[in-house]
Amino acid sequence: MSFYDSSTQHVESSLMRESLMDKNVIARTEGQVVPILPDVNIIQIGGRSIMDRGRSALLPLLEEVVANQSQHQMIIGVGAGIRSRHIFSVGLDLGLPTGALATLSAKDSAQNAYMVSCLLAKHGFVYLEAPFVVQLLPAMLAAARGAVFNGIPPYALWEHPPLVGKLPPHGSDAGSYLVAEVFGARSMIYLKDVDGIYSTDPKTDPAAEFIPEIRAQELIDKRLPTLPIEPAALDLLTRAKLMSHFRVINGLTSGNLSRALAGESIGTLVRQ
Amino acid sequence: MRRHPMKNTIENENSLLTGLGKQLLSGSLSDAHVQQATEDTPNFTILPWVNVVKIGGQSIMDRGRSAVYPLVEEIVANLGKHKMILGTGAGTRARHIYSLAIDLGLPTGVLTVLGTAVAWQNAQMLHYLLAQYGIPFIEPEGFGTLPHYLMERGAVVCQGMPPYKLWEPNPATGRIPPQRTDTGCFLVAEVFGARKMIYVKDEDGLYTADPKKDSTAEYIPRIGVKELLALDLEDLIVERAVLEFMARARNIREIQFVNGLKPGQLTAALNGEPVGTIVYKDGDAR
Repeated sequence: MSFYDSSTQHVESSLMRESLMDKNVIARTEGQVVPILPDVNIIQIGGRSIMDRGRSALLPLLEEVVANQSQHQMIIGVGAGIRSRHIFSVGLDLGLPTGALATLSAKDSAQNAYMVSCLLAKHGFVYLEAPFVVQLLPAMLAAARGAVFNGIPPYALWEHPPLVGKLPPHGSDAGSYLVAEVFGARSMIYLKDVDGIYSTDPKTDPAAEFIPEIRAQELIDKRLPTLPIEPAALDLLTRAKLMSHFRVINGLTSGNLSRALAGESIGTLVRQ
Repeated sequence: MRRHPMKNTIENENSLLTGLGKQLLSGSLSDAHVQQATEDTPNFTILPWVNVVKIGGQSIMDRGRSAVYPLVEEIVANLGKHKMILGTGAGTRARHIYSLAIDLGLPTGVLTVLGTAVAWQNAQMLHYLLAQYGIPFIEPEGFGTLPHYLMERGAVVCQGMPPYKLWEPNPATGRIPPQRTDTGCFLVAEVFGARKMIYVKDEDGLYTADPKKDSTAEYIPRIGVKELLALDLEDLIVERAVLEFMARARNIREIQFVNGLKPGQLTAALNGEPVGTIVYKDGDAR
């Protein structure tokens, strides 16, 4: 099966001898993608919006997760929150690069995810580090009754330099979306402390208008000054192959998660 | 015992925080003003003396002994003079498994896991050839020990893929992972503030088209990254993600492409000579 061509030993394949940088070659690789875990729901618990509030916000939410456990398979991503803001501040002051900040910040969300997994342990949830998400998630879902993972993707020192400044562009919203996309999940639900996406920040502007449904590109083009989700998650959604929408809901309002899992139109639906 | 409810915030009035720190605690991280404020922070370079050298997969490793042995000799000759992080590409086995996995309907994230294994194999082989000089192979999780080995042995071998695994973003078109070994090595160079980022391939540098397929292809010895992106070439010697990231890099000012099949080119590049093609950061606002 091996070829001898200008001394390179090739293995025969449709991409053999091709440049993977060639636009025509890249275009040939379009095609149907198979969902790996089509029944699973990816739930993202916000760091700043939920975790930092402590038991008053988190425990009712986790009760709702448990109440839905028999009907819906859930994998829970968790965000970082205020401790990451603090370490960004110290790290930036020390002159550290984006990749170092990303490595540091991922520990804050790991702590939060670990706490969530402890609180759900008696209901059969397990905490999975990135290598176990890669290798064991399907087996864990068959054996365990749910999983919790670090929402921040394992980019570490390899985090992309942002367009402006130094803050890592891929936080837990982007990381959770990527898990939903690669497994071809049933839904991606972000639990935040606002009812969804508004034209301006509803916490500071009473005239803020609620947006019930919008396309990702449309939302990017609006260039809103603040968003309840990371811009990187919107950018990723524009390139979806499987997970072509996500929902941003208020995790502080009891019943919202159950309604979102049941497919009701609640919060803001962002479509590809 | 009754206590005040615990306050789950870090005080904004905390005098230990810088002005930027206070903005970070109170504002949204996606706020344009907050991001702009982080633009003006100082840059500390972590390993200013290190050179990142990427050894091509299809272009070098897949050629076997005839290409790899002389290059290994040249790397050994430079030990003690230049400290090197040696990253490897993937090559023809990655092309095989990408085409197989695409045929099976698997997503980009899975292709990344598969492609990483191929770059890993090439790194292992390069490592075996350099082992007698005390040069270690380092996984991404072991990068904390990298400065020690660079100081003690002068070089380390790692696989070039960034450790994104299932978290690799989809490309704009198709399904091949857009950030592969060129990008992984570039990001290592950028995060450490490396002295040089050198790509060792099987061409003398950059051409307007693939010189292996198009005889009218013109050679480009030196070009700005924005100019190169604007050319919007059909094919490139390097992953497009490298050029996109370089345009916004804070540390890396130029990257160099040399022909690893020509003895002496890597050494010349390490010595700062303008061999091959240099892509530099143009229109630098910083």
